[in-house]
Formats: sequence, C-alpha cells, structure tokens
Amino acid sequence: MKFRINIKGKEYTVEISEKGKETKIKVGDKEFFFEREKREKKILIPSVSFQKRNFSKKEILAPIPGTISEVFTKEGNFIKKGDKVVALSAMKMENEIVSEFEGKVKRVLVKKDQKVKEGDTLILLE
Amino acid sequence: MKIVKYKKISSTSEIAKKLRPQPWTIILADEQKRGYGREQREWFSPKGGLYFTIVLPKVDIADLQVLTLLAAFSVSKTVKEKFNLETFIKMPNDVLIISSPNSRGLKLKKICGILTENVIGKDVKFSIMGIGLNTNIKSFPKDLKDIATSIEIETGRKTNNEKILLAIIDGIKNNLKTITQ
Repeated sequence: MKFRINIKGKEYTVEISEKGKETKIKVGDKEFFFEREKREKKILIPSVSFQKRNFSKKEILAPIPGTISEVFTKEGNFIKKGDKVVALSAMKMENEIVSEFEGKVKRVLVKKDQKVKEGDTLILLE
Repeated sequence: MKIVKYKKISSTSEIAKKLRPQPWTIILADEQKRGYGREQREWFSPKGGLYFTIVLPKVDIADLQVLTLLAAFSVSKTVKEKFNLETFIKMPNDVLIISSPNSRGLKLKKICGILTENVIGKDVKFSIMGIGLNTNIKSFPKDLKDIATSIEIETGRKTNNEKILLAIIDGIKNNLKTITQ
C-alpha cells in the first residue's frame, strides 16, 4: 500500500508492505520494520518542553537591599514606564525606583521605613 | 567635562535631575536655596561654599558606592594637600577634620558631605553625586557650629572654589582610572 501524506506543508510518501511476520513502513527513504505486536525499531521523538514563564506578571522588585524612604504610588493608580514608584535608601545612597512596565497598581507591598532585601517585590501591577 | 555655573539655585542636584545632562557634566552654584543631604536633611549652603553635582557615567549599582568613596578620598586628599588639614572619612560619604582645639580639647567636625542619588529600573538609568564643601564660610548657625566647620574657619584663608573643584574632579577621575585598569 502506498500513499502520500502532507504534514505542515511537507509531503511524505508512505509505503506499507508485509512480509511474513514483518511489516515494513517506508517513509521517504527511511524504512521501519515491525513484528506483530512488537515494535522492531524504536522511533525516538525528542521531548520538547518550554520553560514555564508567566508573561502577564508585572512586578517591581528591589534592586538592592535597603530601607523604603517613600512610596509614591498607591493601589488603583495607573503608572507608566519610567514613573517613580518608591524611594529606597541604600548604602548611604538615595535611589528612586522606577517602573519598567505600564499598568494599574494591583498591590503595594511595602511602606515607609520598611527594610527590604534584594529581589523583594515592592509593587504588583496588573 | 562641561561645567554649568549658576549664581543661586534651589540645589545643584535638583537641577541635574531636571536637566539630565551628559555624564561628567558638573552643575556648580555659588549658593543653594535648598541644599540637601541624606533623607532631605538641609545642607547649609550660603555664598562662599563650594556646591556642585557631578553627573556620573553609567555603572553598576555596586560600583556607585565605590564612586562615592572615591569622591570622599579625592576631597580628603585635596583638603589635606592644599590646606594641610588632617582629614577623616566617615564612611562612605562624609569628610571630617580635626577642628581647632578649644577648652574641651579636639573635636571632629564635618567639612564636606557627599550624596549619590540614582534612578533605577532594571538597571541604573541615571546617577548623580552632589558634593558640598565648606570652603569660604565664616560662621555657622548655632545648631551647626559644634558639628560643622569650614576651611576658612580652620585656616583663616580664602579659597579659590573653582581650583578646588577641578582638583577634586581630577582626583575622582584618576582614582576611577586606577581601579578600572
């Protein structure tokens, strides 16, 4: 038996033939042999997985450890990219933390005088 | 390096933040109406003192603290070499000197304050360093006179602020060159 199949725009010629207990399936130039209820040649299909990433999560994180000296926004506010959201005193320097995203402030997780560690979430946007 | 001079402004750092000029631009003022230090504490800024803000090149945040230290070293070295005053760095951003002895003995008083300010998103977007050096200041208000002093009070000499400024900037740049080699 010979037929053609089309997978994602590419055409393959498939030929199936039986000889004794063996079944031969030829796809293009490649031949695969099977015995009844026993696969003769394993076809390995690479498992493809994509890293789980949540692209919708917009968080503003503390870039360095320090103390929050001021919070410039509140829940419900709409902020643009580049807007300052908190002031962070760290290493005897004053740092304005600005948003890299645009969105509505879902939660403000810090308050004035609160100590934060590097990587702590300061603001959650939606 | 470009120096932008003002007679009297709110604060050199405030102007730098507003204008956002190129790295190594210096905003210099004869007098500040609202000079400030950490946590917005007032920095006494009458005419006669040296007040300037340096727009810093883009570096990692950890290196910014090093730059603050380099500036403190440069101020300290300049004051020591030019005026023969014994200086101390109160890490990382204040320079103190042993003030003239009085009936209560020797006392360390602040002669210079440095404040580095950064705008940070995913990385450092903009950084400035404000420096206030008490040069030609004859006297301080009551609440400061026990903790602050000036080159004029300590030596009785007048200072050329621009020469001191250039010496400090040269020192910072040289120190920076040394540590990045």
